[in-house]
Amino acid sequence: MSIQNVSRRGFLKSTAVVGGGLVVGFNLTGCSEPGPLPIAKEAGSWVPNAFVQLLPDNTLKFYTARDEMGQGVTTGLSTILGEELDFDPLAMEILFAGVHEDYNNPGMGVQATGGSNAINAHYPQLRQVGANTRALILAAAAVDLNAPVAELETDNGFVIYGGKQYAYGDFIETASGMQAPEDAPLKSPSDFKFIGRESARVDAIAKATGTAVFGIDADVEGKHYAVVRRAPVAGASVVAFDDAKAKSMPGVTDVVEIGSGVAVVARGYWQAKQAAEQLDVTFSEVELARVSTESLRRDYASAIDDASVGTESIEGDLEAGQAASAITLDSEYWTPFLAHAPMEPMNALVRIENGVADVWSGTQGPVAAQNLVARFADLDPSQVRVHQSYLGGAFGRRGTLTHVIEATQVAVATKKPIQLVWTREDDLRHGLYRPASLMRIKAGVDEQGQITAWDARRAGGNISPDTIKNLLPGLFPSIGEGTIEWTVGLATSAFDGWVTDPSSVEGLADDYDVANKRVRHATVDHGLPLTFWRSVGHSYTAFAKESMIDELAVAADQDPVELRLQNTANNPRLQNVIRIAGERMKAMTVPVGHHLGFAAHHSFLTDVAEVAEVSVENGAIKVHRVLCVVDCGTAVNPDIVRAQMEGGIIFGLTAALYGELNLEDGAIKQSNFHDYPMMRMADAPRIEVEIIDSGTEPTGVGEPGLPPIAPALANAVYRATGQRLRALPLRLS
Amino acid sequence: MIEFTLNGETVQTDEDPNTPLLWIVRDQFGLKGSKFGCGAGLCGACTMHVDGAAVRTCILPVAAVAGQDITTIEGIGSPDALHPLQVAWNDFAVPQCGYCQSGQIMSAAAMLEANPNPSEAEVDAALSGNICRCGCYNRIKDAVMAVSQSPAQFVDAMAPKAKAEGVKA
Repeated sequence: MSIQNVSRRGFLKSTAVVGGGLVVGFNLTGCSEPGPLPIAKEAGSWVPNAFVQLLPDNTLKFYTARDEMGQGVTTGLSTILGEELDFDPLAMEILFAGVHEDYNNPGMGVQATGGSNAINAHYPQLRQVGANTRALILAAAAVDLNAPVAELETDNGFVIYGGKQYAYGDFIETASGMQAPEDAPLKSPSDFKFIGRESARVDAIAKATGTAVFGIDADVEGKHYAVVRRAPVAGASVVAFDDAKAKSMPGVTDVVEIGSGVAVVARGYWQAKQAAEQLDVTFSEVELARVSTESLRRDYASAIDDASVGTESIEGDLEAGQAASAITLDSEYWTPFLAHAPMEPMNALVRIENGVADVWSGTQGPVAAQNLVARFADLDPSQVRVHQSYLGGAFGRRGTLTHVIEATQVAVATKKPIQLVWTREDDLRHGLYRPASLMRIKAGVDEQGQITAWDARRAGGNISPDTIKNLLPGLFPSIGEGTIEWTVGLATSAFDGWVTDPSSVEGLADDYDVANKRVRHATVDHGLPLTFWRSVGHSYTAFAKESMIDELAVAADQDPVELRLQNTANNPRLQNVIRIAGERMKAMTVPVGHHLGFAAHHSFLTDVAEVAEVSVENGAIKVHRVLCVVDCGTAVNPDIVRAQMEGGIIFGLTAALYGELNLEDGAIKQSNFHDYPMMRMADAPRIEVEIIDSGTEPTGVGEPGLPPIAPALANAVYRATGQRLRALPLRLS
Repeated sequence: MIEFTLNGETVQTDEDPNTPLLWIVRDQFGLKGSKFGCGAGLCGACTMHVDGAAVRTCILPVAAVAGQDITTIEGIGSPDALHPLQVAWNDFAVPQCGYCQSGQIMSAAAMLEANPNPSEAEVDAALSGNICRCGCYNRIKDAVMAVSQSPAQFVDAMAPKAKAEGVKA
């Protein structure tokens, strides 16, 4: 067991002894009294705050508060701190932080990672922490060197004075007795040497050598695997089961009924999986079992046309806007349910011994992992140690920790250390999904190309009730089931008729200067669990919005880029990426038979415009090239910004070309990568990313690359074939 | 008892001969670099070399490799002595989440062994069995092509101190 990952007070006593020193608490907000930090202080070291431990040999340990799911956040956060501290992030020793309120996401108030906000939210904080720490090192150096502070400089981990260099670590003893300033001056961006630099990722070598540790790689003495046989239809529960055959299978030690199904425990994963298939389980009947994709879509269609249901928000005078339009179009768009399908299936290892629990699982919310284990093992959260690891992809999926609950339940029941692993079939059939949506936009433009009216509707489920249901016990481990039910019920009915769940319609009527607009939302929820999926509502609203803009341009015989430019005067940063991407599009040399499509979208504070180059041959859509122009403010690591745009585009192309989960008798039909395909190398386009540095604070990059690609692709397909495809995945007739 | 060679060492297993090689390597021999992704040979995260060929080991019964030569990601290089592809993976900042990358590298290494100068289409074909959900395909292809075109540039010459160690638990 690594002592660095130990969390919470109960363990820190022993950790402190092992570490041979004190554990220093530090609270940036100063508004409460936090427990000691989960940092194992090494002999002679200095821990000036929650993020840094400096050793006498000048080793700098950086504790990453945010979870690394591939988005490059550890490289980004260490770069921000390193910039002001003057210490190369690639030379730091980086550790996953334990659970502590000092590691809360400043943009969320909890220890969680998501919403593309980490760099934006930590940018001011970690710059200040770096600057304060550097100022304190300089103050200590001034004492030790008997020199005026004004004559001291720093250079990448060293204090420079009188032509000599002294390691930061030389001043630990003096610094330890001094008070850090709270508002040391920050660098001017023109002096940045790490922020904005073309630089490697801190995790590339670990991930190229198989040495990076993911949750599924955790191992403890006596570990057993568990695989769960789940109800084919979400929400159904176990009525009865016969485990005689499963129990007779080699390696099987236990069969346990848990809330979500029946778990089979064996020494090996493969044994557990084979045996789980031999269980004979009867599940309860639920409403959802009467739903198919076709019936669900019919329900959405009747709701979207029923003015008596749902919520609406209105700006301006819609009727006047419609009257002023020269051309009015009314189009309907469909987007299906989708799974996240991260490459690492959901898994968690839970060990409970002597009233103390350990959990190993890569999550987007370590504090929720701690609280959920505590709740289901009947322990105080202080008696649960969370061992964070790399996340083998997440995309929103690892914010819901059902697998942690299940592993805890099985560990409690069997008194064995349990690593519970979801199969890929479980992942696609029994998870939480990007909601399906039916959207309709009725929009008009006048003779001058000004959009005069925008009447947008959406019917479908909301993610908030499931989010609240899963979040509450993760935040408040002792909360009663009744309270959760009541709160979820309240949220469900609120979103059913009082207020619109913002994530359900985000981006559907934004970005363009339309004086007269209406957004209507009809909640139709059949009970399939829903959650955040990379770019959330934007993942489907951008498809409807940017398809409609293209349709308007075609109908008005206008250039689609010009139409966008004309209608984005109030969004200058978006307008700028549209202008630049439009210029690049004009300059592209396009082979005969290839066609271009354009789209732009603002999400997660970032503006992105994309151009897709496609051809259609023998009825198949081929994407050859994608141009992406992004303004995310200051690019802390430009290559990671490019990588996130590339990744978002591939993720969005997978959805646009293949992504579809369908319900039959309430059950998801798709089961693995043969019928829920992912884009593969041979079909991946060449992607070119241009970063516009507008010099502002950094904004999101993990998600904003995705929304424009589906409409850019559909708009290109229209030019290639004359077919306006308004449903995803795109299918030519 | 089934005997085979694992990264140059002779090893034995008493496990059920139907158990997929992946789980034997991960659990009995503790080599965790090869990953479980789909359990159906569809994603390539579990790719190892069996007598030099890239094989999906999540569906390969261990009995099938008796007497054969198995190489995993741990067998082709390490942070202290990187394989040229691993150097290129760092230079091109290929990985995002990183979970599929062992499999990607094993497929690429087997291809380069058999075909040191592949065309882009040949790289596509050799790596089409490996899914990267993060969408690192451009970089994977660029890294593989660069190693094939100028292998000398990717000999590991980095000082150990210059190598970022990744995030530790």
